[in-house]
Amino acid sequence: MWLLPLLGLLLGLAFGLLTDIQIPAVYEHYLSIAVLAALDTIFGGIRANLQQVYDDKVFISGFFFNIALAAALAFLGVHLGVDLYLAAIFAFGVRLFQNIAVIRRILITKWEERHIKKDENTV
Amino acid sequence: MKKSFQNKNNKITRKHFIILIVCIVTGFIIGYSYNLTKDEEKVNNSYLNQEESYREDLIEQQERNKELTEELNNLQVRIREFEKSFAENKDEYEHLLDEAEKLRLIVGEIPAQGEGVRVTLKDGEYDPNSTNPNEYIVHESHVLSVINELKISGAEAISINGQRLKSNSYIRCNGPVITIDGKQYPAPFVIEAVGDSQSLVASMKIVGGIFDQLLNDRIVVTIEESDLIQMPSVNDES
Repeated sequence: MWLLPLLGLLLGLAFGLLTDIQIPAVYEHYLSIAVLAALDTIFGGIRANLQQVYDDKVFISGFFFNIALAAALAFLGVHLGVDLYLAAIFAFGVRLFQNIAVIRRILITKWEERHIKKDENTV
Repeated sequence: MKKSFQNKNNKITRKHFIILIVCIVTGFIIGYSYNLTKDEEKVNNSYLNQEESYREDLIEQQERNKELTEELNNLQVRIREFEKSFAENKDEYEHLLDEAEKLRLIVGEIPAQGEGVRVTLKDGEYDPNSTNPNEYIVHESHVLSVINELKISGAEAISINGQRLKSNSYIRCNGPVITIDGKQYPAPFVIEAVGDSQSLVASMKIVGGIFDQLLNDRIVVTIEESDLIQMPSVNDES
């Protein structure tokens, strides 16, 4: 179950590393935001999965919509001369940390539960 | 593995398919940005390296400049030393040249000219009372003593009747004429000397000196100072 996403990640990494397209320096902000959005979505998905509220539509729409929104913000920021992409980075960063924290808590709870179960089994 | 998922229900497969796509996209974005950043770093590094190398070049050049400046200074110091020694040599050389000139003048290799005196020795008037004409004609001894006196008083060049005297010149009596370096000259003898005319004349006319002696020997002597006396070199045949 964990192997498939990992495989996909590695495949994507390989693609990305092998791609040799140069983009103008102006669009670098878009890329950073896209990275954050993608990570946020993935961790959100993981969290949702762990909380058993996972939904395909929410996940996939969230992924692309977040990326699009971040790109739009960055675009606006570039054209207005205001670093609006910082807002996206901030939001995504906060959410990333929150998601990871939730995942951590859930995993710990699960681990403890398993441990207790194991203890119960052994006892 | 996929088969096992497919063997499960359709929802899981779809879910995993979506996750796969999302993961691929994420991986692509991450990898791409990593790649880009690496390239940028490379570019930046190359810029930095270039700057660094330029700076090193500059430092090298500055050091070279410093070395060359030092070398230049050293060379200038050496040139100054050379010039100094050259100037000293020049002084010496000029000194030597002067000396050589003087010596040539004395030896008679170059024509002499300058202030000096002209001493003319003439035979005395015929004296019927005297039986011996030797008593009133100019002898070579007179000429010699005049020349000697002129030399004593610093004459640089002496000529007799236009014949320049050399260091090895000889004067001998040959009857009514005197022979100077193989050439015969009759009276009157015009002895010219280049030198300080005042001292020459003074030494000639000193009391009890050559002038008095000549007058005593009844020789007609005329001494005249001249601002410009010219005489040929010994090599010129007069």
